[in-house]
Amino acid sequence: MRTSLVRRALGAAVIAAVVSTAPHAQQTPGAATAPAGSGGANNPAIAGARPAGPAPRLPNGKPDFSGVWVGGGPVGDIREGLMPGEEIKLLPEAEKLMKSRMAADDPEARCLPTGVPRVAPYPWRVVQAPAVGEPTHLYFLFEGNIHSYRQIFMDGRAHPDDLEATWYGHSVGHWEGDTLVVETVGFNDQFWFDFVGHPHTTQLKTVERYTRKDEGTLENVTTITDPGAYAKPFTIKFTATLRPGWDLMEYICNENNQDVEHIRGKAGL
Amino acid sequence: MKALLTSLVATAVLALAAPAIAHHSFAAQYDPSKPVTLTGKVTKVEWTNPHARFYLSVKGADGATTSWNLELASPNYLKRAGWSSTSLKEGDEVTVEGSLARSGANMANARAVTLADGRRVFARSDSDGG
Repeated sequence: MRTSLVRRALGAAVIAAVVSTAPHAQQTPGAATAPAGSGGANNPAIAGARPAGPAPRLPNGKPDFSGVWVGGGPVGDIREGLMPGEEIKLLPEAEKLMKSRMAADDPEARCLPTGVPRVAPYPWRVVQAPAVGEPTHLYFLFEGNIHSYRQIFMDGRAHPDDLEATWYGHSVGHWEGDTLVVETVGFNDQFWFDFVGHPHTTQLKTVERYTRKDEGTLENVTTITDPGAYAKPFTIKFTATLRPGWDLMEYICNENNQDVEHIRGKAGL
Repeated sequence: MKALLTSLVATAVLALAAPAIAHHSFAAQYDPSKPVTLTGKVTKVEWTNPHARFYLSVKGADGATTSWNLELASPNYLKRAGWSSTSLKEGDEVTVEGSLARSGANMANARAVTLADGRRVFARSDSDGG
């Protein structure tokens, strides 16, 4: 059984290799480029090929981030994305909270949102609107967990003073060269950063810096600042991979979620 | 070219061996050190989120039947891999390989599902990506 799948995957890899060495080939095999932690889309049989051409641009000259992506944030453990020299220093209360967390209490396992910077192992689409003229909004449409969206205001507004705490917070974005910088505040303290339960408080502020390194690669470097849970800010890097030709599909997580009643044990530390 | 192929093959194999990732911690729900193989008749298929699943009536040595709850990946994952809600039907005789749930319930993930005639259904169908 396993053998036939491996053979199929290897066959695809060989075909992709032949294609990639052909004159004028623009694509590299997805099997060779899919990042760890991107879930099912890691399966070379369905991931497809990742284009490596230059990042496309909008009519206004800014990078065009549109497309369906997988990955780009922590899933299992946020420490996997720590930049060189960076460390996570939990404050005592936060460490105590993390140690007390049980895996079954992970809100994402209970079909609640991932918050920021966590991603679900499902595809998501970037929409810059309007596509012609100066974009005023940028949306991240999530297929899963939950079937929801983030909106990022690109019209120059500031964070309001009367924010109520929410799962995705209030996001404003601007461009620094070809990098989209998204600053978000106004988070609730409900979501976890990862499976192992890294916590945060409502003092959380995230600064995400998105750069489309090439057509198939969207790099996300995020600085986490939360003086309520961490002794100092820290910066992580995760990479999303384009899934050419994919569309988002419906995913209503809580229609038949039987998982949490069978999850056992501590979340992490 | 040979070196490139070797590299691709190695990467493909590594990708296949990637740890299971789902909307929950796979290892917290299933125990990979407790593999199970079950053979029986499909009594129900649920093409639902967050995981597709099916139920299996398994006859024991004493003739008594037990109902098992088998978890698959998400329907979207299975669909993108070429399967559908009709790939497995009520009444199908299948053999399932998976890992037991930590809760002790008659539940397992379904890593491999094989029909009586040897055809494979939902290849790599466990909670990877699901």
